[in-house]
Amino acid sequence: MLKRMRLGALYEILGIYLIALLLVAIGRFVSPQFLTNENFLNILNGVVLLGMAAAGMAFVTYSGNMADLSFPSIMAFSGIITVAALPLGLIPALAIGVLAGMAIGAMNGIVVGALKANPILWTLAVSFFMEGFMRFTWSNNQVYPDTAPGTSGAAFIQLFRVSAGPVPLTVLVMIGMFIAGHFVMTRTRFGIETKLVGSSRETARTSGINVRRVILLDFLVAALAASTAGIFLASMNKLGVFYLGLGYDFKAVTAVVIGGMMLSGGRGHLFGVLGGVLVIGLMSNIMDFLGVTSFRQNIVTGGVFILVVGLHQYLLRKRGKDYA
Amino acid sequence: MEGVSKRYPGTLAVDNVDFEARVGEVHALMGENGAGKSTLMKILAGSFDDYTGRIFIGGSQREANLHSPAIAKENGIGMIYQELSLARPISIAENLLVGRLPVRYGFLLDKRAMIAEAKRCLERVGLDIDPMTTLEEISQHEAQLVEIAKVLGNMPCILVMDEPTSALSREEVDRLFEIIQQLKRAGLTIIYISHHLSEVFRIADRVTVLRDGRKIATKDISEVTPVDVVQMMVGKRIDEFYSKRKAVIGEPVLKVRNLTRRGFFHNVSFHASRGEILGIAGLSGAGRTELARSMCGLDPLDDGDVELGGDFVPPESYQESVRRGLFYLSEDRKSDGLFLRLPVQQNLVSVLIPWNTTLGIYSSRNDARVARDMIRQLEIVTASALTDAGTLSGGNQQKVLLGKWLAGRPRVLVLDEPTRGVDVSAKMKIHDAVMEVADQGNTVILISSDLPELVGLSDRVVVMRNGHLIGEMRKEQLSEESVLLAANGQMERANA
Repeated sequence: MLKRMRLGALYEILGIYLIALLLVAIGRFVSPQFLTNENFLNILNGVVLLGMAAAGMAFVTYSGNMADLSFPSIMAFSGIITVAALPLGLIPALAIGVLAGMAIGAMNGIVVGALKANPILWTLAVSFFMEGFMRFTWSNNQVYPDTAPGTSGAAFIQLFRVSAGPVPLTVLVMIGMFIAGHFVMTRTRFGIETKLVGSSRETARTSGINVRRVILLDFLVAALAASTAGIFLASMNKLGVFYLGLGYDFKAVTAVVIGGMMLSGGRGHLFGVLGGVLVIGLMSNIMDFLGVTSFRQNIVTGGVFILVVGLHQYLLRKRGKDYA
Repeated sequence: MEGVSKRYPGTLAVDNVDFEARVGEVHALMGENGAGKSTLMKILAGSFDDYTGRIFIGGSQREANLHSPAIAKENGIGMIYQELSLARPISIAENLLVGRLPVRYGFLLDKRAMIAEAKRCLERVGLDIDPMTTLEEISQHEAQLVEIAKVLGNMPCILVMDEPTSALSREEVDRLFEIIQQLKRAGLTIIYISHHLSEVFRIADRVTVLRDGRKIATKDISEVTPVDVVQMMVGKRIDEFYSKRKAVIGEPVLKVRNLTRRGFFHNVSFHASRGEILGIAGLSGAGRTELARSMCGLDPLDDGDVELGGDFVPPESYQESVRRGLFYLSEDRKSDGLFLRLPVQQNLVSVLIPWNTTLGIYSSRNDARVARDMIRQLEIVTASALTDAGTLSGGNQQKVLLGKWLAGRPRVLVLDEPTRGVDVSAKMKIHDAVMEVADQGNTVILISSDLPELVGLSDRVVVMRNGHLIGEMRKEQLSEESVLLAANGQMERANA
């Protein structure tokens, strides 16, 4: 009994990396080109933006608010705004883009925290509204930077493409976000309070925690991460447009949940989420090698999500945690 | 009912009780919390399949085996609980006829027949409202009558009412009593559970008193006085349980002036001193919990102010209250007391977060020590400090809840039902800890429906009734009888 409990705890921490190793073995079996440095960078490049988004999404999930479905619109919006603001210079444009995204996060945090709106429905509505707003404002058009050499636009499109040695800037930023996020989640007052709010919002309130402020901050952190990912996404595509970011809401939640973070809040950790991101990248890479089209890949990703959520629920019951 | 018993793990909740109710009478069932009233009635309602003893209904010689709610219903037993079983967003008619909605062609809802039938049901309880109104649009009192109408729809011969008046105003109580009289004349047997002596003496024909799971007596109401009933309920127990604490009472530290939250409590003023345990007595619905929550800043206030150690405590700002050492221990550990899914240790240090933080960084250095000390002090039985709090027994969960606030070093600790549903040894441990907090020069405010606890621990008691503070009793005036009489609004007799 005790042994099984320990195994369960071990699985929670290492399980996702075991699955990743299993996938690596499968990949080796599928193609000899799989185990190359080049392919490994390919995999990382494929999920690096998802990783940034998932690192932020995890804060919302951890706080017991399940998911922020306005991620696609935050990403698209901060991308467009950054591109539009490029004439002011690169750094001001980046700052304005991030602030634009965080403004949406602030709104989400206030409505969900103070007014107790259902987070899923509210952020879904925000996503819908923002898409309409962006289509209307920019007349359905894409926004292009001026990419003549020497301009801030040229520097902007390099953001996604520069590397420090062999390691792309994006990967460094993602890893930095996970390390900083992990520190915030486990070592700061805000992180501990997020865990408590995620475990029981009512108990957190009667324990003297400012629940509204904590939830506001969680949505702000999430929006900061989504904006960063959105700006890199715009840099990658060399343009800003309302549909960039599509699908990142669900994929980010999938990574968070596969990574062992419970949708009910208060449980899990960010390095699990990083593992979840890698697993998604590995699956997608293997399917690429097998020639599986991207629509069929969606079926697999969705299927894995269903499986993992089902498994979580099963494990919770099995451990007799119906008090949870 | 003959020789009926029901055992819960660890306690015999109902112990060999004989109980008889006659056709066409209102029979009151009285007793303190935990005396076994509710359990006895749940047996009658078929809630348990493991009671012992025999039950006969309607003069039949055949034993009724009330092992499920459905069987109890077939035997003509109708229950009206404190919490209504009605669904709020749907219409009265649908609530009334749930499970037996009239249909046409096998599946189409026959709306006209439904409304007609619902009207007939409502007439029986003297309600004249449109059956298509939803439950949200009617008052608490009307909803209660709808509940009665719903239960009457099953044609019961025995109707059990558990504290039916706790949410009603005086006029509404009058109307309810008229309806009870009508039902009685129609030949129903009504079993009426209440803590309110005045109601029992108005409505009941006979009264049965339970204590510690046993029947004390059944009497005609004309034979007894309220004081007799209270004495039967309380018994002549000498409680060695409460060591005679010598309280050293210092200067007043908490001053509450004209506190009002409309609809809950009005113009409440009192003070509490260092080293003092101040009890708040009152029946359920008197407004004690609401007062405590608003006073601590968890719920809104309409008027009045709270002064702690010379400073005003800002209203509706519980974080600020906690910072100043004014703590509220929730009456419901499961919904807002404990983090059930988190380890005992995390629960025990959850109040300390602001103190363990420097520049936003939380230091967990002391967590393990705080948890270890608290587990030792309160003798919390847990596999380890890292076990989830939700897996502990009720008594140990309650200790964790208390420990969480003790770890925060309270100046004023407000305890709301601190020993609800816990075993005797946990209760004693909790009492010891509470007395120790007071002995260290802090203030404890105790809300408890457990009379021996309230009387045994308190140095002074203020009494609430219907949202008003109606009196104060000094230590030497305190007895279970006097507190119960006072809570029932009989202050003069209480102090006699």
